[in-house]
Amino acid sequence: MRDLAFIAFLAAIFGLGFRRPFVFVLAYVYIDVVSPQRMSYFLLNAFPISAMAVGFAVLSWLAFDDKKDTRVAPRQGLMLALLVYCYWTTTKADFPIDAAFKWDWVWKALAFAIFLPLTLRTKLRIEALLLFMLLSVATIIINGGLKTALGGGGYGQLKLYVDNNSGLFEGSIISAVSICVIPLILWFTRHGTIFPPDWRVKTFGYLLIFACLLMPIGTQARTGLLCVGLLAILMLRDVKRRMVYIGGAAALALVAIPFLPTAFSERMGTIRTYQADASASTRIAVWQWTLDYVKAHPFGGGFEAYRQNEIKYDKIEMVGEGASVTVVRTPEIDKSRAYHSAYFEMLGEQGWPGFALWLMIHLGGIIRMEVLRRRYMKAPPDQAWISPLATALQHAHMIYLFGATFVGIALNPFVYMLVGAQIGLDTYLARKRAEEGMKPMHKRRDSPAPAPV
Amino acid sequence: MIDSLVLGLTHGLLLLTAWRLINSPALDDESAPPPGEEAGKRPGNRWGRKRA
Repeated sequence: MRDLAFIAFLAAIFGLGFRRPFVFVLAYVYIDVVSPQRMSYFLLNAFPISAMAVGFAVLSWLAFDDKKDTRVAPRQGLMLALLVYCYWTTTKADFPIDAAFKWDWVWKALAFAIFLPLTLRTKLRIEALLLFMLLSVATIIINGGLKTALGGGGYGQLKLYVDNNSGLFEGSIISAVSICVIPLILWFTRHGTIFPPDWRVKTFGYLLIFACLLMPIGTQARTGLLCVGLLAILMLRDVKRRMVYIGGAAALALVAIPFLPTAFSERMGTIRTYQADASASTRIAVWQWTLDYVKAHPFGGGFEAYRQNEIKYDKIEMVGEGASVTVVRTPEIDKSRAYHSAYFEMLGEQGWPGFALWLMIHLGGIIRMEVLRRRYMKAPPDQAWISPLATALQHAHMIYLFGATFVGIALNPFVYMLVGAQIGLDTYLARKRAEEGMKPMHKRRDSPAPAPV
Repeated sequence: MIDSLVLGLTHGLLLLTAWRLINSPALDDESAPPPGEEAGKRPGNRWGRKRA
């Protein structure tokens, strides 16, 4: 039954794509995020629906879309350079078969992120892309949030449609991603036009945010809690009454603590006593191994290079109470331990050049969004949506980069769609400024000074 | 049960979004008038290019 529903849905979306080809782009976004073929038992598995969607999207763009004043941003060039570089490291990877497996999805994520901004020629397309991303990821988040609220969940136990613990269905990844989309949900509750923000949109948006906040509880992923902390700090930038906000947030946290599951509180407590936790201790040992590895292999070991590590570390525990506390060191050995950090993932797999490219792509996004945020801070009412959207995209990106410290999501396709949306917004606004005959910001001497952040 | 409920909700919203998009000329061309302003005229052809 579910299979038939998926087929009917996809047939409808593809059908609408033949009326407006941009819908094919949205269809690919949906398929990439939700992976309906993984939830399907038959039929959908037999069709390469992802390849079909991207094929239709590229062909229809090439054949029919208006390409007047098409702009390519430097970050698209950086992603192309990273794509070529990753291909080169894959050809000489330490584990060629495993590396080829990862390359198979990485190149698609990067290629789509390079292509995506070319299609984002109108404001409505940018909004449509973000809404499709949100509603697609909401399929996983609402499911997890509901199950958590009904008492389900647990570390590695929250079942999100499939047993396959990979991609956005992995606990730590979805926990970080669900927090990083909150600024975008808030933007839709204020500036959306596909669904104008009435009481229904606001109610759905706030309930979705609540579900997002439940994900770190349901998955018991510490990364999610740290991301919530960063989100709370970032939101301080735009609130009007900061003291009221801080007081409210603190009160909310105090009220929420008694309702949290004991297992969650205990696991979050290990953030402070990380040395006694095998998961956290091995991360630090793997990071040290990675630093040593790139000293000998500055161009990295290709995808999945971590498989060769063998790490020895001491698990440190404090035993006893008061004055009789003793430090107990237990030697542990682990093999083929994953990086558990996007930064070390890039460093170990792609070496210093790949790491530098990756960092430039992401830091470039944060800087560009800051430029747009300030440039349109005092924009006229018809452009009032721009600065908040740049801020939301920037905050989402910052939360991702913070969460990525503890999760290996360096090349996660969802994040590269976010990067594509940022570039699309940037090039769209550049095109608008060119149409309106505006000069670049650094030449606009008559413009008001940027407002302090 | 929860799975089916959530799948129904979000996929319904996705479909509604796509439906609203295909009926909006601004998806492909921001200078196109909104539907209804030009009675009897389609704002653009089906592939999004402006009519000559």
